Amino acid sequence: MKKVIAREELCLNCKLCEVYCRTAHSVSKDVVRAHVKENPVPVSRITVEGDNLDSVAVNCRHCDDPACVAACITGAMQKDPETGIVSCDESRCIGCMTCLAVCPVGCIKTGKAAVKCDLCQETGEPACVKNCPNRALVYVEVGGDGE
Amino acid sequence: MKNYAIVGASAAGLSCAKTLRALDADSEIHLFTDEDYLPYSRPIISYYLKSKVEKDKIYLRDEAFYKENRISVHLHTKIAKIDGKTLVAENGERFSFDKVLLATGSVPFVPPMENVGTQENVFTFLTMGESERLKDYAKPHMHAVVIGAGLIGLKAAEGLRPLVSSVTVVELANKVLPSILDDEAAPTVQAHLNANGVETLLGDTVTKAHGDEKITAVTLKSGKTLPCDLLVLAVGVRPNTALAESAGAEVSRGITVNRETMETTVPDIFAAGDCVRSFDILDGQEKIIALWPNAVREGKTAAHYMAGVPAPDTGSFAVNAIDFFGFRICTCGLINCDGAQILTRKTETSYKRLLIKDGCLVGFVLLNCSARAGIYTGLIQKKVPLSSLRGDILETPELMLFSKAVRTEKLTGGVRV
Repeated sequence: MKKVIAREELCLNCKLCEVYCRTAHSVSKDVVRAHVKENPVPVSRITVEGDNLDSVAVNCRHCDDPACVAACITGAMQKDPETGIVSCDESRCIGCMTCLAVCPVGCIKTGKAAVKCDLCQETGEPACVKNCPNRALVYVEVGGDGE
Repeated sequence: MKNYAIVGASAAGLSCAKTLRALDADSEIHLFTDEDYLPYSRPIISYYLKSKVEKDKIYLRDEAFYKENRISVHLHTKIAKIDGKTLVAENGERFSFDKVLLATGSVPFVPPMENVGTQENVFTFLTMGESERLKDYAKPHMHAVVIGAGLIGLKAAEGLRPLVSSVTVVELANKVLPSILDDEAAPTVQAHLNANGVETLLGDTVTKAHGDEKITAVTLKSGKTLPCDLLVLAVGVRPNTALAESAGAEVSRGITVNRETMETTVPDIFAAGDCVRSFDILDGQEKIIALWPNAVREGKTAAHYMAGVPAPDTGSFAVNAIDFFGFRICTCGLINCDGAQILTRKTETSYKRLLIKDGCLVGFVLLNCSARAGIYTGLIQKKVPLSSLRGDILETPELMLFSKAVRTEKLTGGVRV
């Protein structure tokens, strides 16, 4: 499957990936409205860790054998056998956050339901990758589960 | 081609069935449950009780999943005993097997209490059936008493709170959630429960109930009497080992299993989940770890050895996340450990407690500060020496704790771009 791969040495800690992730997951899909007007403020599913010297963007690895899916107590978190994408069915998620307690990269966020990267399934290209100014994020075929 | 049987259709049973099918495309897989539901989320029953989740959303997998994976689910089939290589159902039906998994879970433990029996307003809280019965029965004028302030008792209390006039939880220990919380964390959780209208009486328990067909009041050890229109028994659970015993397998509190393969002392009979005595990799103790992720892991391991395939080595340890009225609790590993160093950080709204032994993290309690807790869990599971990390371990954990080589490996899986 295709995954978002971070190239740490190219990351500038600008956090535009977070900005455009929030926008992509907002109601308005407008960068200003999403950050200024919307309530609740949309949650970014990618997080830049580190500082101006060393930084890297972290989002879901869509693992081949995801710990979050195994730990999910309601069956809301599942890995699509075809696409390989790990996603949370919000209608079944009770927000217990057991997934967060076992995610080895720490990419799941708290909300009414678990919040995580969906690889921007609807648009086909992750907004973080599209808007990374110096290509520190790339969307590439990495093998593993899923087409 | 083999004939696999799995008794018990919750976390361990379903995980075993899924894994078996992934490892063995042809064999028959039979999943037996004495309940009327396809495998459902047991923890979700409290959310059903407070109407947060619709009834059609309780299922772990949809019906099509079982068809696609050719898993035959036998609903409402209580297996009464094992006779050699045959499961014998209560109604006399017999099912032969080559390998069987016992994933029979727990049964409620009910201590002797005077006049508490089969009255219509006595409930347990382990099954969807009981949750439905409770939801039908609870009325706004009622006073509910829950015995036991463990995970099950408190979830029952939270679910009942909007349905009845009062909810009182009576707990024999001197703190709430005694199995997962330390002495400092427990009062914070208790205060939050109280603020949300759940009364807690600690160091006390019900000794006697009043009323004939229906309980109307209960008397406590302390002599206090509480009005009681419905009583939930959540004192604790016991491993459900009857079936293992019928097969002649060794049982000592939980079913004895080979810690690597999950096979019982009887060949071809495996066991996983709350019914077994697990081997905790963190303190080397054998104990019951009645938590969902552990059951899933054990079911998966058992499936590998049932299919004759070595399993990836993943040991048992406790990890749990839960919330009560929006208050988040996340715990992992050991709560107390001799000779361990304890680090705590407290703010007005949160509490963090880390337990460090021999240079490695062995446990944590996080109240309202569980962000990226999985990184801590990974440190515990992989016994990562804390000396190899940089930064303050008490801060919110992140991949930046690791060296560049390690975090790059974690993020890219070795893919070079």
